[in-house]
Amino acid sequence: MGRGSRAASRPTPAGPLPVSSPVTGLRPRRLSFPEVLAQSVSALAPSAAMVTVPSIVLVTSGAATLPALAAATALVLLVGWCLTQFGRRMAAVGGTYSYTAKGLGPVGALVGGWGLLVGYAAVATAALVGAAVYLSGVLGLRPSPLVVAGLGALLGAAAAFCTVRGIQLSARVALALEVVSIGVVLAVLGVLLLVPRGGPGGAGAVVDGGAAWGAVAVGVVLGVTAFMGFESAATLGVEARRPLVAVPRAVLWTPAVAGVLLVAAAAAQVVLLRAAPLDVLTSPVPVAELADRQGLGLLRRVLDVGIAASFLACVTGSANALGRVLFCMGREGVLPSALGRTHPRFQTPHVALAVVLPAVVGVPVVALAAGGAPRTVLTAALTVSALGYVVAYVLACLAMPVLLHRIGELTALPAVGGLVAGVGGLLVLLGALAGAAWSGRGVVVAVFLAAMAPGLAWAAWLRRRAPDRLAAVGVYDQATASSVLPGSLPTRPRR
Amino acid sequence: MSPVVDRGLTGRQPKAVQSALAILEAVARAGAGVTAKEVAEDVGLPPATAYRLLNLLVGEEYLVRLPDLHGFALGRKVAGLSRGTGPPPVCTAAREVLADLRRRVRFGVHLVLYSGPVLRCADVDPDHPLRSPEAVERHLHATAVGKLLLAEQPDWREVVHPHRLHALTARTVTRPAELDAELRRVAERDVALQAGQLHEGVSCAAVPVRAPSGVLVAAIAVTAPGEDESVVGARTADAVDSARRLGPLLG
Repeated sequence: MGRGSRAASRPTPAGPLPVSSPVTGLRPRRLSFPEVLAQSVSALAPSAAMVTVPSIVLVTSGAATLPALAAATALVLLVGWCLTQFGRRMAAVGGTYSYTAKGLGPVGALVGGWGLLVGYAAVATAALVGAAVYLSGVLGLRPSPLVVAGLGALLGAAAAFCTVRGIQLSARVALALEVVSIGVVLAVLGVLLLVPRGGPGGAGAVVDGGAAWGAVAVGVVLGVTAFMGFESAATLGVEARRPLVAVPRAVLWTPAVAGVLLVAAAAAQVVLLRAAPLDVLTSPVPVAELADRQGLGLLRRVLDVGIAASFLACVTGSANALGRVLFCMGREGVLPSALGRTHPRFQTPHVALAVVLPAVVGVPVVALAAGGAPRTVLTAALTVSALGYVVAYVLACLAMPVLLHRIGELTALPAVGGLVAGVGGLLVLLGALAGAAWSGRGVVVAVFLAAMAPGLAWAAWLRRRAPDRLAAVGVYDQATASSVLPGSLPTRPRR
Repeated sequence: MSPVVDRGLTGRQPKAVQSALAILEAVARAGAGVTAKEVAEDVGLPPATAYRLLNLLVGEEYLVRLPDLHGFALGRKVAGLSRGTGPPPVCTAAREVLADLRRRVRFGVHLVLYSGPVLRCADVDPDHPLRSPEAVERHLHATAVGKLLLAEQPDWREVVHPHRLHALTARTVTRPAELDAELRRVAERDVALQAGQLHEGVSCAAVPVRAPSGVLVAAIAVTAPGEDESVVGARTADAVDSARRLGPLLG
């Protein structure tokens, strides 16, 4: 089709436009830019990352921690830039799933889309456990599996209410929670920096230790996982005001802001942990542990509130995105079409949310009630989600130059950018898989593969048995008769 | 009025503005379906620059990327640029439908035409003239025909700035949330009513005229003295019938 167009001097007459978009039913064009940004930021949960990720990277990468985190930020920014190439051209509801469809076709899209579903679902699970663990700390309860399970069920119900009630409500709640939690983390770090410190402590040798290239690479992989979910604004194509401007901006700003916060938090923790005993460095939240040892118990409580808020925002953000990807698949007919229904009044994909939310809340509650340690469930779910996300990102980055080539808009920069981001992401994926397998967490890799298997099998089955159901993959909020200058294009008669 | 191309372009970048306008002209000249590559060649810009400006114009909705993702067309906002020209012509067959309705209804019967986000009073009742056609075209939040137009938009705030919901009478809807609720009712009933919101003592009902494709192309406005919505509301049945006959003539 594209080949013949060189000969024709007149453009081929464009086909008639439909009267309504294939993804109608969601509340159109209501979210302001801060609300769109809140979606991405909340799914990323920056304050939780700021207090947990730097110490993990410090243990493996030592003195190379800051460069490793900076490199991770750069890689994620490159991935984000690749996604903006889609975001400027189409208002998607399925996020990177819809993007991938435009470059790699339905099967590639389903693989990436399933990875994305696994990512959102697992991170929502992890964040729910995280929110419950830290809330129990705030309430002064011991985080036993049963307490965490109970609090998790309560918080899950609250998140479900927000997401079904409306995207604007949940975006505003997420925005407020994020502002509070980032402010709290920055304040706590500031206070700790002002408190006088002793000379180098037991952890100093690790913090300032040299690192081999392999260890730096592991640091980069760990750093990248801190950004997962940054692209979730890409599921708000219908609901954002001026989506082709707001969504790409949110997808690029989120990793930029989160990167600055993460590197700053890491720099502060390098200074703080240098003077700390070794067991502080290896504790789950070294900043909180430090506050405790300085006798600042109140600070620890405040920090727990901040982290719990961040995790709770992450539950709603991830659930919103998860529901919209499923909604999109339902509309396409790839999954049961009931998932593509929207609530008549709240205008949210309530069926898709009603299907996934019980699972997101139920899985960790059952795992905890069965006696799983909260921290184990939390880190396992986080790892599974990161693996799922990276699969989705790699495929979307590789799809970008393919789409641009197809529509005749490929230039050198996106071609190189897409390839570098795709290969970089692939290396991160392999590194993360190998790292998880070698560090004795092969079970997590097995869980991830088991979670991916139904999606891959479904894609293969559809391709062999029902290829016509794949034809609709890639629907988005496309141009309709009312979006063009009246009279400039024929309109498809109403059926 | 609506948000202009503001971010990323400043007055100190005249070249970028000129290029953007040249791109708009190129798309208008080539017609719907023109590709980015063809536009770049036509305008003589480096491809990367042309693609960036095209995406910018699509983001601002002056251009539209067609569903195949490689064709472009002029967007609905372009209609707003040509707002100021004289009254739009209405074909004789449509005028006859209106005349027929005026014989049956004792109130004022007017025809407005919609073009994207713009409305024009095309045929004002000579026996019961509108007090101010300019006010009807301007204050979309206070008129029945304006509400019909706003209810059809994906986001009415793009057409009327929420800070510009001026109170023209004591009954004008000035709070964005109230207008939201009212537009939702309009969309449900497919008819818009207004009593004393534009001028005191005048109420109006607007019935949509839709092309066979379903696109809103015009409205029949029925105006009556008094501030009781139910009086004009009761007169819409005749207008609905006329609107059905007008659809194929105007669409």
